[in-house]
Amino acid sequence: MITALGRMLSCHFTAKRLQRYLDADPAAPLEPAEARRLEAHLAECDRCSSAAADFRSMRWAMLRLSRLVGPDPAAVQRLHRAVDQLLEEDHR
Amino acid sequence: MSPSPAEPPAGRAELFRLHIEPELEVLLRVARTLTGSWPEAEDLTQETLVRAWRALDRFDGAHPRAWLLTILRHTNVNMHRRQRPDTVEDVGILPGARPAFGAAVEPTPEEQIVLQILPDDLERAVDSLDPKFQTVLVLVDVNGLTYAEVADLLDVPLGTVMSRLSRARQRVRVHLHAHAQREGSLR
Repeated sequence: MITALGRMLSCHFTAKRLQRYLDADPAAPLEPAEARRLEAHLAECDRCSSAAADFRSMRWAMLRLSRLVGPDPAAVQRLHRAVDQLLEEDHR
Repeated sequence: MSPSPAEPPAGRAELFRLHIEPELEVLLRVARTLTGSWPEAEDLTQETLVRAWRALDRFDGAHPRAWLLTILRHTNVNMHRRQRPDTVEDVGILPGARPAFGAAVEPTPEEQIVLQILPDDLERAVDSLDPKFQTVLVLVDVNGLTYAEVADLLDVPLGTVMSRLSRARQRVRVHLHAHAQREGSLR
């Protein structure tokens, strides 16, 4: 009973921090102690490690999806030319 | 408009080339996410660049992307776009700038297998999201913005970005699992 409760609390702790852990965004870093606790939990909890694996897979799938079609190179070129004109006009 | 005597045009131009122009493509991609169409995104990006040039004297040389995204947001509001900033219609044509998930590593063989399965399902899952969740997800995971950049762009607190992102990913995961169970194709 106590073990199950402890596991549940540990899962809750991990779930609340998993995105921040995976993103490593500079605005919301985990404390080193939090990261260590989370990693220890992932090592022993199939459910949470499965969630982490899913989020990593989704990340790669999103990245792949994003690479399929980029902006039209002609549009990018037009914008660079617009910058050229902007700077030239101001220089005159 | 004549430049300030203390800031010769060449100096401003160099500053613009060095800090602003490299962000052009990211701006275009983010503009696409905000407007929902490439032609509108191009207009918005061009107008943003014009405004950035005019305001360059107020740029302190630090965090050009954040500075530009703020201008982009204001420009978007001022241009009275028909589509709201939380509208993304077709995630499949949105390009990315950098990978999200800070500690980027190459996908494992298992992840590569998943990649072969997911894209169409993923597109449907993302498209099914509420626009406000979808936009944050696309801005972070596809356009590659940081939490702070998204918060600034959408003018919402950082905590809101994190909570929307988390809920968006959870919902996409649930959607994918439900679809996989129906199809028996995932795992």
